[in-house]
Amino acid sequence: MGPATQRPSFLLLLSVFCAVLTVACGDVPADAVLLLEIKAELLDAGGALRSWYPGGDACRWNGVTCSDDGARIVGLNLSSSGLLGSVPLVLGRLGSLESLDLSSNSLIGKIPPELGTLENLTELLLYSNSLSGGVPPELGSLRKLRLLRLGDNMLSGEIPPQLGNCTELEVLGLAFCRLNGSIPGGLGHLKRLRILNVQRNTLGGAIPVELAGCSELQVLAASDNLLIGGVPPVLGGMGALQILSLANNSLSGAIPAELGGVSSLAYLNLRGNMLRGPISPELNRLSRLGVLDLSENDLSGRITLSTTNLSSLQYLVLSNNSLTGGIPDDLCPTNSSLHNLYLAGNQLSGEALTGLLNCTSLRSLDLSSNSFSGVIPSGVGGLGELVDLVLHNNSLTGPLPPEIGNLSNLQTLSLFHNSLTEGLIPVSLGYCSKLQSLALGDNRLRGPLPPTMDMLTELRILSLYNNSLEGPLPETLVLLRNLTIVNLSHNRFTGGIPPLLGSSSLVLLDLTNNSISGGIPAAVARSRSLARLRLGHNLLGGAIPPELGQLVGLDFLDLSSNSFSGKIPSELSGCKQLNHLLLHGNQFTGTVPSWLGSLRSLGELDLSSNKLHGRIPVELGSCSSLLKLSLHDNSLSGGIPPEIGNLASLNILNLQRNNLSGPIPSTIRHCNKLFDLRLSENSLTGTIPPELGQLTELQVMLDLSRNQLSGEIPPSLGGLLKLERLNLSFNRLQGQVPSSLGQLTSLHRLNLSYNFLQGEVPATLSGFPVASFLGDDKLCGPPLEACSQSQAGKELSNTAVAVIIVAIVFTSTVVCLVLLYIMLRIWCNWREVAVSSSDSEGDERRAGGWSCEDGKTSRSCDYWKVNSMSSTVVSSPRGKKQSQAAAAPCIFHLKMEQEGALEKNSPV
Amino acid sequence: MASPLFAALLALLVAVSPAISTNPEGEALHSLRARLKDPRNVLQSWDPTLVNPCTWFHVTCDDRNRVIRLDLGNSNISGPLGPELGRLEHLQYLYIPPPPLELYRNNFEGKIPKELGNLKNLISMDLYDNRLEGEIPKSFAHLKSLRFLRLNNNRLTGSIPRELAKLTNLKVFDASNNDLCGTIPIDGPFATFPYQSFDNNRRLNGPELQGLVPYDFGC
Repeated sequence: MGPATQRPSFLLLLSVFCAVLTVACGDVPADAVLLLEIKAELLDAGGALRSWYPGGDACRWNGVTCSDDGARIVGLNLSSSGLLGSVPLVLGRLGSLESLDLSSNSLIGKIPPELGTLENLTELLLYSNSLSGGVPPELGSLRKLRLLRLGDNMLSGEIPPQLGNCTELEVLGLAFCRLNGSIPGGLGHLKRLRILNVQRNTLGGAIPVELAGCSELQVLAASDNLLIGGVPPVLGGMGALQILSLANNSLSGAIPAELGGVSSLAYLNLRGNMLRGPISPELNRLSRLGVLDLSENDLSGRITLSTTNLSSLQYLVLSNNSLTGGIPDDLCPTNSSLHNLYLAGNQLSGEALTGLLNCTSLRSLDLSSNSFSGVIPSGVGGLGELVDLVLHNNSLTGPLPPEIGNLSNLQTLSLFHNSLTEGLIPVSLGYCSKLQSLALGDNRLRGPLPPTMDMLTELRILSLYNNSLEGPLPETLVLLRNLTIVNLSHNRFTGGIPPLLGSSSLVLLDLTNNSISGGIPAAVARSRSLARLRLGHNLLGGAIPPELGQLVGLDFLDLSSNSFSGKIPSELSGCKQLNHLLLHGNQFTGTVPSWLGSLRSLGELDLSSNKLHGRIPVELGSCSSLLKLSLHDNSLSGGIPPEIGNLASLNILNLQRNNLSGPIPSTIRHCNKLFDLRLSENSLTGTIPPELGQLTELQVMLDLSRNQLSGEIPPSLGGLLKLERLNLSFNRLQGQVPSSLGQLTSLHRLNLSYNFLQGEVPATLSGFPVASFLGDDKLCGPPLEACSQSQAGKELSNTAVAVIIVAIVFTSTVVCLVLLYIMLRIWCNWREVAVSSSDSEGDERRAGGWSCEDGKTSRSCDYWKVNSMSSTVVSSPRGKKQSQAAAAPCIFHLKMEQEGALEKNSPV
Repeated sequence: MASPLFAALLALLVAVSPAISTNPEGEALHSLRARLKDPRNVLQSWDPTLVNPCTWFHVTCDDRNRVIRLDLGNSNISGPLGPELGRLEHLQYLYIPPPPLELYRNNFEGKIPKELGNLKNLISMDLYDNRLEGEIPKSFAHLKSLRFLRLNNNRLTGSIPRELAKLTNLKVFDASNNDLCGTIPIDGPFATFPYQSFDNNRRLNGPELQGLVPYDFGC
């Protein structure tokens, strides 16, 4: 081990002498040379090795410890010295080293296996570096090693089983690395091991039962791994265990009752596993337990724990399980030491607080997301230590008791989503002067805000949405200068916004659906972190202050359904983070701004129901994240820009009720995520682009009605298999209804009425009612009247059609004349005849819009089909047929009703 | 040794301190999100501190702020179907998109959670073109509003639950290209489904024979 041959002979002699004296040989001057080699290998940015210079007394060098007789270097401690580089291989030649500490530096590379030759080593600390590679199995030969800490590195590979040979080992720290494989059972040989920490790796497999052999083990920390299998019951025999943390693994099965036998246990954390079954009452034996966290499992049954027995318990966390029943009275009787009790996200029921009123030590109580009912008892005022009182998502009723004001330490009061009623917010709440978060949303609170609100100067979160609170926002609220989140939406507040602007730290301001009036004060823009500003559905007016453009973090701007007017200020283009821009239902004038194209994060843009005019700017095509685009009910003109096809994520496009003209751009095929497309009530011309058939996600609606679209219905529309509603009515569509439309199996409403369609309705569409095809006089076949042969002709050239039409006109004229003659003769003969009314046809025309195919009507449709078919068969081609058909809808409607009723009553 | 360890242990405790959170439907979606792989971060807007999920992208609510539609068809989202979906009790449209090819291993594979049977308002359930395994849950018989059920192109096994014949509103049923077995129900809506709905299930034996000894062998 010593490089004796390269040294002068007196040193050789000395080293031989040393070797005789001690097993581990070393000599200071020779080691000093090695230390200088080490210095040369490291980048000493912090100057920790400045004192290391050739010829100096190594025993006085920084970080170097020599033996008591000054003969050997036994310790090297360069922890937190800012060292860079890799662990020097030369270290393996410092044979006398007993302690090596290079922790908390920036060392990279592998742990040299040569360290395994330092057989005197008792402490090896390399934690908190950036070391990679595996843990060298050679370390297993360090038989004197007591302390091995390699954690907080990027070490990978398995834990070498050879470490089980380091029988003196007391501390093994391998946490916060990337170790995989399983925990070697051989570690069970380490009879002196006190601490085993392998937290936060990717270790799998089961917890080896051999670990129970580590009879001295005080800390077993293996949380945040991928461990499977059960919690071994043998752990219950580890009499020295104080800390057991197996959180965030994939452990299954029940919590072994044997754990109750570990009387020294102070910390037990099994959270985030897949443990099932009840919590064993045996755990009550753990009288020294301070922390018990069993949350995020699938534990069931009632809570049987009691702090009468668990007398040291301070933290009890059972959240997010499937626990049932109520809170037992002995969970926390008087003189308990329980500080934090978290039972959220279970199925607990009964009175929430009654059983806890003696638990005066409580500081933090979370019973949220359970099924607790009943009132908040006035005794809650006795829990004077409470800092957090979290009871949201339950079914609590009654008022918020005035005694809440006794909780002078309260910082969080969260009662949202209950049924709190009969009440005002108590005036005494003002005495909770440390309150930071007040969340009373989704209750039935009414009345005005208490005048003492202004005493809550620490308040950061004020969330009172969905109540019936009313009255003007008190001017004194301006004293709440720390507000960050204000949600007063869905109440009946009146007055103006300014009282809420005392704070310049607002992140969220939501006043949606109140009766707030006035304008938006420019002072809103003082809160530069404002991310959500929602003022929709109020009585606000005036112009948008250009200062809002300074809110560079603004993500959500909703001013909808107010009376805002003027132009949309160009300054808003500064709000580059905008995801939602909702300005609909106002009186904005001017054009759709082209700078909207610069808002690349925009996901929802709704400018509908304003007074905007001009063209749709092509720049909108740059908003490639856009999911919803609504510009309907304005006076927009010009064409739909082909750039609309760049909006490849678009789900909803609504341009209804404008003055848009020109064709539907075929580029719309690129918007293949569209599930709702409405372009109706414009002046669009040209044909329906066949590319629409590629929008296979269309589901809610395809509405092209009330335009001037011409040409044929493209057969490709048959590809819209998910489409539920199709409206092409009131256009100038010609030709036949393509039979492919019959493939639209999802179609639920169809309107092709008032076009120039002709020919036979495809049989698969015959289930739709007549109204779906009204006003297309040349359509025939069920549900309309049967086709005469010439009408049914399918593949005829235009000339043939013309010839046929002429022939038909000619023949029918002749027939009519003949009939007229015959009728006149008959009329002359009898002079009495009954003519059926034609009212029903008028009714159908007025119905206009939708024709439904569901439920009762669908049966009637079938009925209608059958009848019209039978009429085809039965009726002979005589003139009377016309009048029969005209009267038919009325009669059939009556029949339909009866038939529907019959079908309901009779078993199918 | 002890101090960093205890710091880590305490960090766990800090994580459980109470927080303001969204409503139950938002919680369900948020825990679903935790299971999903979302390489393009399209679910960034799913902020659990908001009072409800109605302003989250790809989520549609009705006017009473109840989630009626979930569109995960937008980009590269993949992961197991979570039982959390069963908590969205007002959901009308559920579309779980075909996975992108490069995410073959992480897509919506695994079984169809039986909890989806809780979605009593569901109108449309599109789970086609995924790699779902296991059986069609019998709980689907509770989906009284269901009109469209597309399960084609998966790896579903077992028989077609007879209970589905109770779904009187069912208009479209597609179970083709799976590995289903047994016979095809003929009652209720099954009387109207075309043969293509059952195509390419090697072990499917054709329509059941009623009144005779059932021949549901090999299933």
